[in-house]
Amino acid sequence: MRFLAGRLLDLVLVLFGVSVIVFLMIRLIPGDAVAIMLGANTEITPERIAELESRLGLDQPIVVQYFDWISGIFRGDLGTSIWTGRPVAQEIAANIWPTLQLTFLSVLVGAGLAIPIGCFMAEARGKTAEVLVRVGAIAGLTIPSFWLGIVSIFLVAKLMPGSAMLGYVPFGEDPLGNLQRMILPVFALSLPMLANLSRLVRSAMLDALGQDYIRTAKSKGAGRTRVVYVHALRNALIPFITSVGVATGYLLGGAIVIEQVFAIPGLGQLVLGAISERNYPLVQSAILVLTFAFVLVNFLVDILYAAIDPRVSQR
Amino acid sequence: MRIKTLGAALLASTCLFSAAQAATLDVAVDSSPAGLDPHLVTAFSSVVVIGDTIYEGLTTIAEDLSVQPGLAKSWEISEDGLTYTFSLHENVTFHDGSAMTAEDVAASMRRVLNEEMGSPLASRISPITEITIVDDTTIALTLDAPFAPILTSLAGIAIVPSEAEMDTEALQQVPVGTGPFMFSEWVPNSYISLTAFDGYRDAELPKLDEVKFHIVPEAATRQVGLASGQYDLLPGVDPATALQLQASPGVTVLETRDLSYTLIGINTSRPPFDNAVVRRALNMAVNRDEIIAAALFGNGVAAGPLSPALQAWALDPATFDCYSGDAASAAALLAEAGVETPIQAELLVLPRQDAKDIAQVVQQQARAAGFEIELVNKEIGAFVQDWRNSDFDLFASANGGNPDPDGYFYRTFYGGGSTNVFMYDDAEVNSLLDEGRTSTDMATRQAAYNAVQTKLACEGPIVHVAYGSLSTAINDNVSGFVINPNRRLSSLKSVEVSE
Amino acid sequence: MMAALRRDKLLSFALIFVILQLLLAIFAPIVAGDPIEQVIMSRMQGPSLENPLGTDQLGRDVFARILFGYRTSLLTCGVAVVLALIVGGSLGMLAAFYRGWFDRIVMRIMDVLFAFPIILLAIGIIAVLGPNALSASIAIGVVYVPIFARLLRGPSLVICESEYVQGARAIGASDSRIVFTHLLPNLSSLILVQASLLLSAAILVEASLSFLGLGAQPPTPSLGQMLSEGRNFLLLNPWPAVFSGFAILFLSFGFNLLGDALRDTLDPRLRNSTD
Repeated sequence: MRFLAGRLLDLVLVLFGVSVIVFLMIRLIPGDAVAIMLGANTEITPERIAELESRLGLDQPIVVQYFDWISGIFRGDLGTSIWTGRPVAQEIAANIWPTLQLTFLSVLVGAGLAIPIGCFMAEARGKTAEVLVRVGAIAGLTIPSFWLGIVSIFLVAKLMPGSAMLGYVPFGEDPLGNLQRMILPVFALSLPMLANLSRLVRSAMLDALGQDYIRTAKSKGAGRTRVVYVHALRNALIPFITSVGVATGYLLGGAIVIEQVFAIPGLGQLVLGAISERNYPLVQSAILVLTFAFVLVNFLVDILYAAIDPRVSQR
Repeated sequence: MRIKTLGAALLASTCLFSAAQAATLDVAVDSSPAGLDPHLVTAFSSVVVIGDTIYEGLTTIAEDLSVQPGLAKSWEISEDGLTYTFSLHENVTFHDGSAMTAEDVAASMRRVLNEEMGSPLASRISPITEITIVDDTTIALTLDAPFAPILTSLAGIAIVPSEAEMDTEALQQVPVGTGPFMFSEWVPNSYISLTAFDGYRDAELPKLDEVKFHIVPEAATRQVGLASGQYDLLPGVDPATALQLQASPGVTVLETRDLSYTLIGINTSRPPFDNAVVRRALNMAVNRDEIIAAALFGNGVAAGPLSPALQAWALDPATFDCYSGDAASAAALLAEAGVETPIQAELLVLPRQDAKDIAQVVQQQARAAGFEIELVNKEIGAFVQDWRNSDFDLFASANGGNPDPDGYFYRTFYGGGSTNVFMYDDAEVNSLLDEGRTSTDMATRQAAYNAVQTKLACEGPIVHVAYGSLSTAINDNVSGFVINPNRRLSSLKSVEVSE
Repeated sequence: MMAALRRDKLLSFALIFVILQLLLAIFAPIVAGDPIEQVIMSRMQGPSLENPLGTDQLGRDVFARILFGYRTSLLTCGVAVVLALIVGGSLGMLAAFYRGWFDRIVMRIMDVLFAFPIILLAIGIIAVLGPNALSASIAIGVVYVPIFARLLRGPSLVICESEYVQGARAIGASDSRIVFTHLLPNLSSLILVQASLLLSAAILVEASLSFLGLGAQPPTPSLGQMLSEGRNFLLLNPWPAVFSGFAILFLSFGFNLLGDALRDTLDPRLRNSTD
């Protein structure tokens, strides 16, 4: 319990730090919201600038602006987009599903396939297999996922011009079409994770197989399948969960680029667009939400970790 | 909420085979509009959705760029050229059901002119000093001085309900106009849907039931989506995509000459660019044909100050003696004038692919003439700020056009003009521009603008690079679409789709 | 070392692979032509004798651009990793060395930096500094600071608690002496391995940033930028996008394999810890 409370306090502190950094960072970006909002090639007068500034609350001192934002968050109000005038929460809600879906499916595919593939690879022993597994895993890990995405778009456009695998349709509108269009981005995004995890599963399996108690179980007559899947996997669980947690965080970041490649209207697009528009309320809240998700994943991993291995919580 | 839409989708898909399918036109656009208020947001991403679809002006611009009646069925101009009296169509209603009267027109004009609204359109109709409501369907606008482009400008002033006069927010989200389509739904970063307006003043129109603007930022996805029939129409296709789409079966790429042009802007307050000879030399060094081949995929024409789409006005670029694309004679000109070379300059680049390509080609071409140009790439916000503060030597960017020459020139080149970031102030150009603006005699205007074009082409603060093609790609099941150089989808009301 | 190389074929392969690419980058001006010169009349050509990897939309040689792109990429990422190592590594070691409130404050700040998704923090930093290669270096460096700090703090703690360090302290060795004679040498293999692995990851991050238009700017060639330009006309001429992608893959792969093989050779205890 004390462990949990301690981790929660950490979480709050980290989020506070994140909020300050995000808030200051976006205001340090050269070029101010009002000038960009009025746009290039349009007439401008000092009155118009002043009018917009006061309408957007940008004429307030920076500390007041920060306090307004944070106190709003505690009231459940993430602010108002200065471009569309819609609540930020609404904008984020409209964009969060594709990102969550993409990340979730990629974790599912990456982690799900890693177990059988890793087990399968553990069967292959010997020097050549060792090298092949290793080179393959590293290649998978270092292949740029956005390039994979682009090349797959090209191949699909060239080989199957009529297919409905590109673009994005919301799940609620057309579940089947949505999943069909998720194949390529999920493939591109999950491959590095799959490569990393299956290598991990493999080495954990090999470790476990070499350990005494497995030999004992084997000599007791338990079938090979049971040995592999029960004893070895349980042992591989902790590093596996840690890696899934870390990788999930990376995926949230990687999703930003993949969304750009596959034109998926997720949080990545929202944030990138909002940065170039200097849409302060939207950027700061969206990044806070993304970071919160990232921190939350790590937090859950920690808790899970502690649940599996009680020694951790006594650290 | 999501479960509900899922249910609805399932329901809809089961009904699909029994009910006749509603005629929906799926349009794919590249960016989400910042808002939909026609007087506050003038970006293309907004105009393409609302212009001539949801909203109409008193006049409208036809595909040949001539001014045609819009909500006003006719008008009279007083002898002194100062008072325009418009007779409005009768029985026009807004999408909310209320009647459109002269009061709404007056309120719309006041809304644009009101400084507190901060409308970027204000300068287009700033000569209006008096608005007189004669009766429900007659309104008179009085100008402080003759202003030839007023009828063209009015096409861009959407008529909104008078209740919105002081409201800066409502119309951003839910536009209410008199056009053939009415706003139905906006799912941010996903789509905006418009449905046919039953009460449109022409009962025959529109022919479609629904127009859906899908927001698809990636060009490749739009392209594949059109080829696979997911989308029916792509407005504003970039040259590379247009080239690739022309090869797709079942797709037609419609083209017209664009009004907007790519350019190299020059800060005339910074030596040596304050010297007209240096500007002329830069114009000579730029080989426009090469740029068009490289950055526009061959799909464009060398740019003079006016787009060839303005047939009545534009001079043929062949008549400009500095359009030689000859670096050697540019270098000779500089040497002859005693200008010290190499000329060092920074070129600020708009973060857009065509501008980046143009900047790189110009950098190489100009080097041969004695210009050492360094490219400065900034993120869009920083670019806009430097541009606005005239904090540049040179910049590579694009400028929008207008059906009237005044729209091209006045705010850009007149001393102190609102987008004259070049610090350009030339007495001769100023007086010619005043003449073109205040004269209603076609021949006088023509002479003034010819002189302006000749002067600006070689020694103005802009190296006009190229007019690209404005391309719209449609599926072969779409009929009745006509491309309009002003980038509005004005013909959507007569478009039909077949299965 | 030579013996280790003979024993470990994989390590020698990785070393050769990396060194080959480094040499190509260093001797790019000799091996390849001018990466900036445009021959617009021969634009968007496929591979040929004159242009082994074809030309791009402005008629520039893709092979030359890739080799010069290697330079950009290596320089940007090298600076980033060194920066992260110096700042992050010192913070981690000092935190372990001094413990107490210094440790707590430093590691909390590291937690905050670590809480951001990598790309997002890098994008934010570049937005502030302006998009160019140096900003990308700094951004990636800052992002990696907490990684090095966390990585070096743990082992440093162990070393500082060890009897010989305690002994050295007891006989009055200065702080800096302990850091330089005990801490650093003991951590050097760990640092070498991690620097190589992080360089591999940094190459991917730099490519992503360039891809989003936030890395080195034209006319400087960069791999991510070539990829993002190439994708605009993929169907007309796929070569620049395809080759620049392979280049990123090879570069990142080489350093990852090197780090991986080094880990085995230098420190067998680390053998099974991935990432």
